[in-house]
Amino acid sequence: MIDMAKCTIQGVDIRGIVSAVPSRRFDNLADAKGFTEDEVRKVVGMAGVKSRRMAGDSVCSSDLCQAAAESLLEKIGWERDSVDALIMVTQSPDYILPSTACLLQMKLGLPTSCAAFDVGLGCSGYPYGLYLGALMISGGGIKRALVLHGETPARFADESDRSVSLLFGDAGSATALEAGGPGPWSFVLHTDGSGYEDLIIPGGGFRDRFPEDRRKYCVSMNGANIFNFSIKRVPTVIQDTLDLAGLAKEDIDYFILHQSNQFIMRHLAKKMGIPEAKTPLTLGDFGNTGGPSIPLTIAQGELVRPADRPLTLMLVGYGVGLSWATALVRLGPDAVLGHTELRNQS
Amino acid sequence: MAKSPSEVLTWVAEVFEAPADKIRPGTRRDEIDAWDSLGILTLIARMDEDFQVLLTEEEIQELRSVGDIVEILRKHGRLGEGA
Repeated sequence: MIDMAKCTIQGVDIRGIVSAVPSRRFDNLADAKGFTEDEVRKVVGMAGVKSRRMAGDSVCSSDLCQAAAESLLEKIGWERDSVDALIMVTQSPDYILPSTACLLQMKLGLPTSCAAFDVGLGCSGYPYGLYLGALMISGGGIKRALVLHGETPARFADESDRSVSLLFGDAGSATALEAGGPGPWSFVLHTDGSGYEDLIIPGGGFRDRFPEDRRKYCVSMNGANIFNFSIKRVPTVIQDTLDLAGLAKEDIDYFILHQSNQFIMRHLAKKMGIPEAKTPLTLGDFGNTGGPSIPLTIAQGELVRPADRPLTLMLVGYGVGLSWATALVRLGPDAVLGHTELRNQS
Repeated sequence: MAKSPSEVLTWVAEVFEAPADKIRPGTRRDEIDAWDSLGILTLIARMDEDFQVLLTEEEIQELRSVGDIVEILRKHGRLGEGA
């Protein structure tokens, strides 16, 4: 097989990661309407989502990422003028144009010398964001980069659609990258666009600009195909990443999987022979928040961090696209992890 | 790994937690309560776990009866001889 879209990058360090969620909490068992209690119990039992955080009508991904970034910049003591690049990974932008990254450059008070752009990926977006940030730093010129990743999937779910409405929560995150660091990072990035319809918001883009059916503005998911794709692709991409890095499963401290669905995640862990303790779950409290579920789980997954060595983390994003990607990174003992809430009512 | 056709019927009953006497090759998907949009995930997972069979998207769409499950296992060489 030709080794495409695999690479190793040296000399990049994670200074800190902060996740952010809306304060409004939705308890699936107590608050779900429009479904019978049995239906809700069945979905909760399988997907593992007990509660979720909801952005409501007033909070965007950018607001959650801004809250995460403000907290992160304060914790790590970076001067705003020292940030050279901002990458915003999202599929729930404020506007079709301009790029949400431009708004965030302004809102965060970053210098106009800062490069800023959006990346339109979902569940696989975090490894891609780290890859791009690491590439920019290793390429020279950029010394400090913020990778922001936020989604509001609960806002694009049709409340009457059982396959998605009890699953999704909203979250944002901010990750600070800079030159330096304890070791090489490895990335594997893959795509199969033939499954583009398996997870799609068909309306509102330029293919179908103003559909009359409002449901076309909501997400539609073929759960069976997405699950099938996950069990086919995830074990292979993890093994490919281990091979690329010259590591064994046992060398990985944590496998941080996109928090898609507890049933899928448990099946993947079992299939790959990874102990459950090495695959932290946060979707019980936060739901499937799309790609930001990875930084959210790093920050909120209660990782045990030795003081004398970096953690080796295998980050695995998979889903909408269809797109899947890994980032094998090191998280040094000095890297700051944090979590914050954005107060909201609606 | 291979099962006889009758063992497959027992296996299907177990996967969907259905009474064994209700599961025959002709039993349709809509006659099995647990074979809903969540049940299909269980079926895909158990095919992988117990038979090491990964389905294609086309095969998933074609699963409409217990007989279809038996046929897919036959196609993947997981069906042994027997009653």
